[in-house]
Amino acid sequence: MKNFVVGKGDFLDLIDRTVEDGKDVVAPVRQENQANFRRIKSTKEILWGGPQTVIPPKAFLFPQEEELVEYEVDGEIRIKATVEAKPVVLLGIHPCDINGTALLGKVFAEKNLDENYLKKREFVTIIGVECLIPCSPESFCYRKESILPWEGFDFFLTDMQDNFFVEVGSKKGESLILGVAKEATQSDVEKLKKIRRERDNLFNEKQRELKPKLGDLPKQLRENYDSPMWDERGARCFNCGSCNMVCPTCYCFDVRDCMELNLRQGNRSRFWDGCLLTDFTRVASGEIFREERGARLRHRTNRKDWYLFEKWGKSFCTGCGRCGKACLTKIVDPLDIENELWERKGQK
Amino acid sequence: MTIYKPELARINKIEKLTKTETFFDIELLSGKGLGHQPGQFVEVSIFGIGEAPISVSSAPSDLPTFQLCVRAIGNVTNALCSKKPGDKVGIRGPFGKGFELEYFKGKDILFVAGGLGLAPLRSLIWSVLNSRKDYGKVYILYGARRPQELLFREELKNWEERKDIEYHVTVDVWEENWQGHVGVITTLFPYIKFDLMKTQAVVVGPPIMYRFVIRELKNRRLPDENIWVSLERKMKCGLGKCGHCQINNIYVCQDGPVFNYKQIKDLPEAI
Repeated sequence: MKNFVVGKGDFLDLIDRTVEDGKDVVAPVRQENQANFRRIKSTKEILWGGPQTVIPPKAFLFPQEEELVEYEVDGEIRIKATVEAKPVVLLGIHPCDINGTALLGKVFAEKNLDENYLKKREFVTIIGVECLIPCSPESFCYRKESILPWEGFDFFLTDMQDNFFVEVGSKKGESLILGVAKEATQSDVEKLKKIRRERDNLFNEKQRELKPKLGDLPKQLRENYDSPMWDERGARCFNCGSCNMVCPTCYCFDVRDCMELNLRQGNRSRFWDGCLLTDFTRVASGEIFREERGARLRHRTNRKDWYLFEKWGKSFCTGCGRCGKACLTKIVDPLDIENELWERKGQK
Repeated sequence: MTIYKPELARINKIEKLTKTETFFDIELLSGKGLGHQPGQFVEVSIFGIGEAPISVSSAPSDLPTFQLCVRAIGNVTNALCSKKPGDKVGIRGPFGKGFELEYFKGKDILFVAGGLGLAPLRSLIWSVLNSRKDYGKVYILYGARRPQELLFREELKNWEERKDIEYHVTVDVWEENWQGHVGVITTLFPYIKFDLMKTQAVVVGPPIMYRFVIRELKNRRLPDENIWVSLERKMKCGLGKCGHCQINNIYVCQDGPVFNYKQIKDLPEAI
């Protein structure tokens, strides 16, 4: 794919025109003292270079509540599968979230195709933006090699003061930008390289260190399955599930039926669920198959940095830092956990 | 059509087996057979209430119908157990990995069923009994809490009378008129003698039972790979997406519910 350069004003005009045409454009905006994704009416609302949004952009592909089936029970039963998707431009997506979304795409497209997710994905345009300063003290994307997107964006912007450097990731992205951008020159590419060198140095200096090697995380977790650390941290867990809700790669869901007041029409929807919640493994007989809080914390961590990491070749923690920020008792941060396991091993 | 849309099915026949367990004979409205393997499960929908994973209780056959044995214990199963013949339910599946019949052919089989564990095991037991000559010796050990909780009593009588199987039954708690054995299921083991080299043990029951039965089998030196289990877990999708049934890196709904013991014995959360 080719690279382009676009004037900032020209790019913002393009987006404003898209909004005026009635298309949905979603971008991070400031809400209170936090960042959140919202449908924008003008590019003036966009929060550039802010902290990570409270809820990741997965909410637009895998909503907190999503209808799967609707039915009518009126003598006969009629069932209709629901697949809702409409075009949305997701703008200002950080690399950690582009990568998180790419990982979700893999699991929902594995074997039993989840059309509810895949159809939405087809209709979504992802415009990423490079982070040039760490977005928050909790983030550690640089340590998870997630400072740049691996795949799964339509185009990706890097701020070059007057211009954006535009890396195109799809045909859809190219056709969108083609009218307003010009092809990047060698000197633009050189300038980008310099920005990224400086960015690397800054992130390396500012972000907390990951002590074990990234590729060693599955092995470290395997070796520490029985570490007392899990119960020590677990003892402070409130079972609130916040870490699951804010994670760009947590995709577990509950399924519930809901009837209209007429008791004839109803639907079956899925809702975000979380493996840190007490009832996550509870069956009708009352048996809970993962009863210990420490075991639940271990399961979540292992899923990110072991089970799914080994299966897909990429850590399912992209270092966005949301869980560490959301956790009330500061037990869940995967970087903290990995470092603690590494340090304890050193002491033995 | 998506992976979450159930197919409609009609309940042909309902029989109350015990106070809490009900037997259903079900047929897809499409007339297609379920095409299941013994040990697989379906997601049963009661519209307006929800879905629940239920093991198929009948052996695969050419008939368009299949059978379930359901304990009324949660929202869905209570609603299901109050249905009438002719009522419709939704079905998704069959899901998961069941028993590979080919693998068991020519071998001796020891069935160990505890309580409702007989429901999934029945699909394999009848698969074996339906072509009895393809298998070696067959032992069935069945335990229930109380005599009145015994399932499929007509069939139990048949098994007791058959000369080509060795059948033993026990109850944990004695009641008036019970003349049989009393004690937990492991107390039946002294009655049987099986060939360690030829026997495959298939164990299905409540979580607590596995530990004791497997210990008994291990005490007799039965190799791990000759032991088979079926695991119960919470399952919402049946398709390896929703995450509830995961044990470490294994999805019970896809990689199981039937497992060889060797495959799961080192998974700390499995048994």
